[in-house]
Order: sequence, then C-alpha cells, then structure tokens
Amino acid sequence: MRTLLARSAVQARFVLIGSSALLCGFQMIVIGQAAEIQRTQTFGLVAELLPAFLQRGLGSRAMLLATFKGTVAFGYFHPVVCLVVAFVAMYIATEPAHEIESGLVDLELARAVPRLRLLTRSLLLAHLAIAAALALMFAGTAIGSRVFDTAGMDLPPAAMRLRLLANLGATASCFAGFALLIAAGSSRWVTAFTTAALTAVVLYLLDFLAIGWPAVKNVAWISPFHYYRALSIVAGDTSPWGDVSILVGAAAVCAAGAYWRFSRRDL
Amino acid sequence: MSAGPAIAAEGLTKYYGRVIGIEDLSFQVERGEVYGFLGANGAGKTTTMRLLLDLLRPSRGRASVMGVDCHRDSLAARRQIGYLPGDLPIYPDLTAREYLAYLSRLDSRPVPREYLDRLLRRFDVSAVDERRRLREQSHGMKQKIGIIQALMMRPPVAILDEPTAGLDPLMVQAFRETVVDLKRAGDTTVFLSSHVLADVELTCDRIGLVRGGRLVASGTIDDIRRDATRRVTVTFADGSAPLVTDVRGPLGPLLASLAGRAIHDVAAEPFRLEDYVAQFYGGEPR
Repeated sequence: MRTLLARSAVQARFVLIGSSALLCGFQMIVIGQAAEIQRTQTFGLVAELLPAFLQRGLGSRAMLLATFKGTVAFGYFHPVVCLVVAFVAMYIATEPAHEIESGLVDLELARAVPRLRLLTRSLLLAHLAIAAALALMFAGTAIGSRVFDTAGMDLPPAAMRLRLLANLGATASCFAGFALLIAAGSSRWVTAFTTAALTAVVLYLLDFLAIGWPAVKNVAWISPFHYYRALSIVAGDTSPWGDVSILVGAAAVCAAGAYWRFSRRDL
Repeated sequence: MSAGPAIAAEGLTKYYGRVIGIEDLSFQVERGEVYGFLGANGAGKTTTMRLLLDLLRPSRGRASVMGVDCHRDSLAARRQIGYLPGDLPIYPDLTAREYLAYLSRLDSRPVPREYLDRLLRRFDVSAVDERRRLREQSHGMKQKIGIIQALMMRPPVAILDEPTAGLDPLMVQAFRETVVDLKRAGDTTVFLSSHVLADVELTCDRIGLVRGGRLVASGTIDDIRRDATRRVTVTFADGSAPLVTDVRGPLGPLLASLAGRAIHDVAAEPFRLEDYVAQFYGGEPR
C-alpha cells in the first residue's frame, strides 16, 4: 500500500502543492483584506454591498459577512475554496480511471496486488490531500493574522475555524467518494473527472440558488454543500457534527458502491 | 499449489457485449513448456492473457495457473505470473531503475539481484540507460525493460504478449537465448504471443492457433513440421519435365510411386511455420 500511495502522491505532487499553496495564500489574502477594512472602519459599506437576495435568504446571519470575524471565516467557505478542495479530492480519487486508460493497471494487477487496493489507495490519498489542504488553510489564517497584525481584532476562534474545516473536509470527502464511484466504472480519466467536477459545480450552484429561490430549496438537500452551513457555524447557531455525519455517511455509501462496481468490472 | 499443467483453460469464453472475445477455449500448457499462442490481430490472444490475470472476467468457463483458479483465487494465481503487456505502460517520470524498483516493491516476491543483473546485461541495458527517464528511452529500450520486469522475479509462469515487438535483431537473439535458458532450467513456463513466427519456431515447444476467438489448431512444432504440406520438385535424369507436387507428411510414398524412373534430384521446400499459420489467418465475422 505504501508503495502505491507514494507513487500516486509523487504523480499528483504539482496539483497537491499548487492547490495547497493557493488555499493557504487565499486565507492570507482574505485576512489581509479584512484587516484593511477593519482599520478603515468600512465594514458598513460592505454591508450595503451585500445583494438583497442574500440578505433575504440568509436573514440576520448575512450581516456576519460584513464583520471582521465573518470575512475571515468566509475564507473557509468561499466558493473558490469549497470547489478547489473538492476538485483536489476528486482529481486524486479518479486515479483508477487513469490507470485503466493508460494500461498501468495491467502492470500493477499482474502482481499480487488486490484489485480493490487501488481504490483504497486513491481514497486514502484523497483524504490525506484534503487534510493537508485544510491544515494549510488553518496555517494561512495564523500566518496572515501575524503578517497583517490583527491583534485586537475579532478573529474567529480556533475551535470555530476547526469546526468549519471539519465540515468542509467532510464535504470534500463526500465528493471524493462520489468521484471514486464514477472512476470505478470509467475507462477514461477525463470522462470521470469532468463528470465529477461538473456535478460538483452544479451542486454548488444548486445550493447557492436555494438561498434566494424557494423552488430550488426542495431539491437542495441532494447537494453536499447543503450540509455545510458555514454561516450558522460562525453565528454559533448550529453544531456541524450532524451534517458531518451525513456527509461522511454519503461518502461511505459512494465508496462502498465504488468497491462493488470495481470488483466486478473488466479492467 | 497442486500438480498438473502450468496453465489450463476449460471452455473459457469472453464476450464483449455481442462481440466474441474468445469462445470455448480449452487448452493446457505443461510445466516448463514454452507455448506459442498465435493468431491474427483481434483473434483473442490478449483477451486470453488478460483473463489469466483476472483483469477480465470470463463470461463462461474457467482458467487456472499452476492449479490455482485465476478468478476465485486471483491473488495466489498472480503470485505465479510475470506479465509483459503488449503495449507496455510506463511512468514517464521514472528512470528504468526506479521503474523496476517500484514494480518489485509492489510484489511480495523477491527479485534475485544476480538474476536481474544477468537480464540487464543480456539485454544490454547499461547503467546509463538505467538512469535515464523512461520518457527519454526508445521504444526498443522500453520493450527490453518490459521483458526484464516480467522475468526479474523468476516467476513460475511468464506470460509475454508480443515480447520481440520493436526489438533489434541482436535483442531478438537475446530474448531467444533467455527463453532457451528458461526452458533449460525447467522452472518457468512461458506462454507467449508473437507475430514473428521465426521466434516462435525457434523457441516454442508447442503452439496454439486462435482464430475468431476459437482455438483452431494446436500441436508441437515437430508434429506440425512432420505433418506440414511441402512443395516437392523432382527432376529426372532423362530430361523429362520435372514433377512439382505438394506432399503432406513423409516423402516415402511419393518416392515409392516413382520407383523405376531415373531421378536426378529431389528438392523439398523447407518447412516454414508462416505457411502453416497463414492458412489460419484471415478474419472471420464475429
């Protein structure tokens, strides 16, 4: 397993390093911007800029986005951040489709390597990548708060940030499981990754549109992003663990489906 | 591991939807034997090999390697096999040395260092070649690395799909010598496919011919040679027109029929496996 894991990590190193650096840097930029708005005392202007449909849909919690704490926390549920973490997880989870397409599976499985180990490897690496990305996001906030000297500002507490990261990680885990399920039945990596990535974008939009469009609310429950209620976590209204359980459960179901499918298919 | 043939297929069948991959294929390869598995492109050779590796699942029938069922006990079966795919997949960023090391680490089977060195020398893979990335290597060099990775752990069964494709004549010779060595040692069964029939003739004990997914002929090279149709030209001392005829089997009956005539010369075209195999080539609808 370690040999397979190390090889895959080396192959995905540029994506892993690049995305982790991007996410870390993003947190630093967000905190820098928040600190600047705080110093110039212009959060009132930010509140005025919030679209009306957001204010209607999110209620009083929307105003959190016009605070230093809310803006810093926004770095943990910004659409770019959510989708990048999900894409990284899906990129790695779809590796079995690449191995089938390139024929590498013939070399690996001509040896005494259990067939399902390829999936376990990808799932494990996807979760390690998620964990690394989240850890660097956390570090990015810490570095940013030092660089931009946020002493005396209302930084989101570490426990809150960890709750946000746990929920984001569970969301990405769900997408990793979904991508693995797609890859387990695909023979082309591009098909598998594009399908998974486009599905993630559509599901994000679905959850976003549900904020201001009641008709979409009825189906928003199918989106994993629906179970990442970040503003509620920032407001302290909700504990994320129920949502995390749903997301991890969905990831487990998808992974089980992937194992079932991969064990029966021709490679 | 039970005694018995190294490879056995019983009614092995694989359908790709409505297309026949192979159908009711039954054969045995004895331990220590070198078996040539021949057929035109798309005849079902690679499908058969991938079924033995459990990469494909049979629609019907079963196959075993060293007495171990290829599907039900796939891991144990694959532990007996060294495989060279027809189109060798590579990790372009790895050097040849790293590639071989990676593949050996994937396996619980040890790679005897001395044997690996011997293979590297025989296939003329220098230390410089070993340090070059695979994306920079020629097709022939990659093929040599492919043969080495299949044989380096001295597997009881070597399954080689087009092993000499892309090799220069010297390396083809090196491959033949390697197979002869394996045959002499007697502890490795070789199951190979090739379109280079000279290789097959020189290295294989037995061949099987597939066409349209079915085994249409099999036998030892000696049997086939004995039984093959040859063109025989008999010239006569009296200057009469030469007799040109196709003879199957021994020449005795032909010569007996010419008793009493003054024969100047009898020339029989040498046996060519190509001629024998050619009659089985050519597609058939599936």
